Amino acid sequence: MLTIIIRSIIIYLIVLLVFRLMGKRQLGQMQPFELVLTLIIADLATIPMAEVSVPVLHGIIPLLTLVVLHFLLTLLTKASTWFSKVVSGKPVIIINPKGIDYKAMKNLNLSTDDLFGALRECGYFSIDQVQYAIMETNGKVSIMPKAQNAPATNADLKIKTTESFLPITLISEGKLMNENITLAGLDEKSVQKIVEKEGGGKIKEILLLTVDKTGQSYIQTMKGEGKSFQTKEVGA
Amino acid sequence: MKILHYINFALIIAFLIAICVAEEVIVSSSLRQTQQDCLFIEAAIERLDNVKNTEIALMVDNLEYDWKNNESNMCYLVNHKSVQEIGQEIAKLKLYIASDDVDNFRVSIEVIKFYCHSYLHFMGANFHNVL
Repeated sequence: MLTIIIRSIIIYLIVLLVFRLMGKRQLGQMQPFELVLTLIIADLATIPMAEVSVPVLHGIIPLLTLVVLHFLLTLLTKASTWFSKVVSGKPVIIINPKGIDYKAMKNLNLSTDDLFGALRECGYFSIDQVQYAIMETNGKVSIMPKAQNAPATNADLKIKTTESFLPITLISEGKLMNENITLAGLDEKSVQKIVEKEGGGKIKEILLLTVDKTGQSYIQTMKGEGKSFQTKEVGA
Repeated sequence: MKILHYINFALIIAFLIAICVAEEVIVSSSLRQTQQDCLFIEAAIERLDNVKNTEIALMVDNLEYDWKNNESNMCYLVNHKSVQEIGQEIAKLKLYIASDDVDNFRVSIEVIKFYCHSYLHFMGANFHNVL
């Protein structure tokens, strides 16, 4: 049993490494060759875990080989458009201003139900609202709505806006994020000052403290409610 | 970051090559050594015409010792079950020595040689194995 536990840990760590090396794409964002690799990896990992007579290397070697293969395929798809089309396919327009492209749909083995399902997922319940629909290489459908159905933007409404900035987390669950503090141009003392002024407690009692480039901040203690405030510490 | 990515893959490729070379070297040297031990035992039987003697017993002990060492090394690389027959035949050799069963002893030696030959074939990298 101990052998199986140790083997499981080893294989788990290797699979974790494999997925880290393969990138951060989610299942729905995968290209066909990535999906195939993921399925094979899941299957390969279980064999040496449970079968003690099989050396653990018999699980590790194919996994690492697949990582190398994936790396080479990625390099080739980036280097050659032709190769990329062969491996991943190319986006296909399934709805154009004239209507549904039935030939394209037949080539993709897509039924009208599938198409309507994809449109509904994007928030469009009638085909009249859609100018273009494109089946992406990862199987997702992208929609370009007709002008009258497109959501209005601030630019359309001529509303004056100011750019917003990404909030930087300075404290998370009572822990100082030193890298982020430097990124925000602050130091530990100034963070302590903000906490004393706005949170009224110690750093370890703060659930979340964020600040953006303009000084707009948010603080919440572990027991209390959150509040927004403007700090002068940023950029001071 | 990109360089680190390339280094990672270079290391993986180097590791895969190292494992392939290690497998080829360990498996073939282990099996060839066992084959060699069997040939020495066969020659001794021809000379002595019986198996119940110290010389043969020592040679079989030597064969068993070598095989155990080799098997433990091979188990990192090949399935244990694929190589267990040789160990079983070596165990039989000891029984045949006790009963001075020359014929079965010879058969077991032949079987060990046969297994070594077969393993050399199916464990090495060749076109048949790939397909």
